[in-house]
Amino acid sequence: LQAGHYILRVNGEDRYVHAPHDEPLLWVLRDRLRLTGAKFGCGEGVCGACSVLIDGRAQRTCRLPISRLRPGQEVVTIEGLGQPGNLSPVQRAFAEHTAFGCGYCTPGQIIAATALLQRNPAPTREQIVAAMDRQLCRCAAYPNILAAVESLADSNDAGESE
Amino acid sequence: MSPTRRSVLIGLGGTLAYALHVGCAPRDGEQTTEPLPTTGTLDDPRGRPNVDLDVRDWLVVSADGSVTAYTSRTELGQGLTTVMHDIVGQALELPRERVHVVLGDTDVCPHHGPTTGSGATKYVGWAFWIACHQMRRDLVLLAAESTGWSPASLTYSEGQIVDSQDPSRVLGIGELADGRVRRLDVDPVTDPRLFPAYVDRETMNVNAEAIVTGTQMYAGDYLPEGCVYGAYLSPEHHPSLARLRFVNYPEARNAPGVVRVKQIDRGIVALAESYPAVRQAIAKLNARWHAPERPVAFDPEAEIRAGAELARVVEDFGDVDAALQDGERVLRETYVTQYMSQVPLETDTAVASVEDGRLTLRLGNQNPFWVRHKVARQQGIPAADVHVISPPAGGAFGSKADHVIGEETVDMMQLTDRPVKFVYSRDDDIRRRGRYKEAVVFDIATALDDDGLILARSIDIYQDEGHGTRYTYRTPNARTRLFETDLPVKHGTMRGTSFVQSIFGMESHTDMLALAAGIDPLEFRRRNVLLPAFDPLLDACGEMLDYGNYEPPANQGIGFGVCNHGGTQLGVVGAEVRVDRQSGEVTVVRLAGAFDFGLVINRRLATNGVKSSMIWGIGAALLEEVDVDGHGCHTTGFSNYRIARMSDTPPIEVAYFDNHNPGHPRGCGEMPLPPTVAAIANAVHDAIGVRFHEIPLTPERVRAALANP
Repeated sequence: LQAGHYILRVNGEDRYVHAPHDEPLLWVLRDRLRLTGAKFGCGEGVCGACSVLIDGRAQRTCRLPISRLRPGQEVVTIEGLGQPGNLSPVQRAFAEHTAFGCGYCTPGQIIAATALLQRNPAPTREQIVAAMDRQLCRCAAYPNILAAVESLADSNDAGESE
Repeated sequence: MSPTRRSVLIGLGGTLAYALHVGCAPRDGEQTTEPLPTTGTLDDPRGRPNVDLDVRDWLVVSADGSVTAYTSRTELGQGLTTVMHDIVGQALELPRERVHVVLGDTDVCPHHGPTTGSGATKYVGWAFWIACHQMRRDLVLLAAESTGWSPASLTYSEGQIVDSQDPSRVLGIGELADGRVRRLDVDPVTDPRLFPAYVDRETMNVNAEAIVTGTQMYAGDYLPEGCVYGAYLSPEHHPSLARLRFVNYPEARNAPGVVRVKQIDRGIVALAESYPAVRQAIAKLNARWHAPERPVAFDPEAEIRAGAELARVVEDFGDVDAALQDGERVLRETYVTQYMSQVPLETDTAVASVEDGRLTLRLGNQNPFWVRHKVARQQGIPAADVHVISPPAGGAFGSKADHVIGEETVDMMQLTDRPVKFVYSRDDDIRRRGRYKEAVVFDIATALDDDGLILARSIDIYQDEGHGTRYTYRTPNARTRLFETDLPVKHGTMRGTSFVQSIFGMESHTDMLALAAGIDPLEFRRRNVLLPAFDPLLDACGEMLDYGNYEPPANQGIGFGVCNHGGTQLGVVGAEVRVDRQSGEVTVVRLAGAFDFGLVINRRLATNGVKSSMIWGIGAALLEEVDVDGHGCHTTGFSNYRIARMSDTPPIEVAYFDNHNPGHPRGCGEMPLPPTVAAIANAVHDAIGVRFHEIPLTPERVRAALANP
């Protein structure tokens, strides 16, 4: 397949990349833009470790060809939500609840929780479980992930860094 | 980021290094299976070790008054970085920012053995605790020496040496950092009550910010300049049976981004400019395989029994055969378990490069010194010429105790002078590694007396190591034998060796014994448990589930499982389940666990590990099964290997006791799993009256059992 020139909107900046049309967004982000927060976990769109926000929705990127992104679509990765010392509310809740074991799936978990809370700031427990159920965590930190998301369910500030 | 020892040496001026020689006998005098190094020489301070086992700096005091701790044990998600930080920080009364921890780097860390068996805190953490206290005393002596103050009135406090007679006399430990190396022989039994003084004061992991911002670096996040991605063609069949019939090299070589495709000793390798490109190259090989000569049909139980040979008699006392023959109430059963895979979210990943003229390998691994040894041997070079660094692993659970990916990646370097990254596909991580948790056949026969006491017990375990079964219940006559079978399916460790399987059989059988004796299952266990330390656990577990007043709705029930791991970790898990008779689906409604693994060092992290292990129990009982037949394995990823999700996770309550070995820390990440499996199976029996002799209890299996009672 041919390679092509792309301008991607990532974490609020326009980024130029030259990549094969069928290269999954995950590898564009990780290797070409050096945003390694999104992880490779399965390569089949099942585990959710590669999730990023695309126009505010949590999307898996390990099988999403870069050519499928429409011009102007906003990509936000875990790095775009907050940084050390400037955590987003969801990131802070995950840190404070130790909502992880090894942390490998955590960027994807936080992306999914952020998308949920942006569209529904006060989800019920059932809604949280439904929204988070496709984010696999082999360390099985599920009780703390649930507690972290529930702790934010009443506040209305689940967006980007304060 | 934690400084390397080199940067400490270069960047911060003087240091004071402590090379410690610590015996590793736990305080109750029991021999451990993982001794810390007891011999060796202090290596060159530039960090160029020349022996595999050497005594090196454990603790380094820097001129800025910070302390760095070094150990070969690695961070796998169990929280070792945090535990090490807090043990050293608390023992030396230093805040977190004055403590650094360097893990898993063969150039700078002393070899403290592999990170296995839930042992890092209980052995290494404890040794550091003792070492830090020894170091405090030595720092006082050094301060007296360098200042001329009388040591009698000097004490160590919060990183300073202070004089109780003269408040003007204060010396920061950083001022003692003058490049010296102190060698201490630390007595591991100096003060048996020191460790319990440790209290978990912190509420967040040291690396929490890095994890939640995606900035914690795992092996795959390293991308050296000019790095190529590599991959091997993996066989379609069990590796020992696989024979290649056809590959299309031109197609693979012409694929975009491909650098090389070539056969080397280890197999066919592709190198390409990106991960997607290298995977495409492997696919374009269009490999075809000869069908193995062995039949495709595979009945695990029959396969395992066929050709099994007696490997070991674990215990044999009394007259088992006579008791089983004469006994009136004798129950004989067989239980069979499934193959499982560890599937950590981070697949096995290694990055090999040449740095400062030396082969450097980064991989999240449980045993970096072992990888170094194997890679050096394979390349025919001294171990000192190989530098292995284990960044935090994205989960391991036994799957990263191996050295194979290190060798595979270094072999790829034959084909290029560029750095190489090898990221296992999910399929590789299941089938190429192939170190499954093995299927086990468990034959058990028990004779009961009139009071519901166990008169005799015979256990024959095929393929298992039999851990955990002989420590749970009392009996005057017992025999346990282990049989081994040579199968094409290779097995490895998974969250413990293989006692999951035995405990499922043992505890299912125990419920059947209780039923036969007409005694409540919890009461039956109370009467027969070997150790009195089980009693409070049985009581607590029953109370957490309000078992005494339990009136189950239809198709709902409670079951219990008991486990004694290695004679030191005791646990009782209770499960309440609901069974949907139409769909066959089993739902775990809640779990309760009461555990005695000695002193709990860090309750927050221990509880994470314990609940994680219990949730794995749900997976093992209901969901996880690697699909194996005579030709190969057909499980390739999460789309056909179901692990527990958030919706499978019920409320979980845990309680800790410290009666069995008071004050002694033990591992806690492995033991809760097996009794959870058994508790779920027993709860299913309580709910629908069906005893399952195989796991997992998939909806199909449950429906079939209900249809043909």
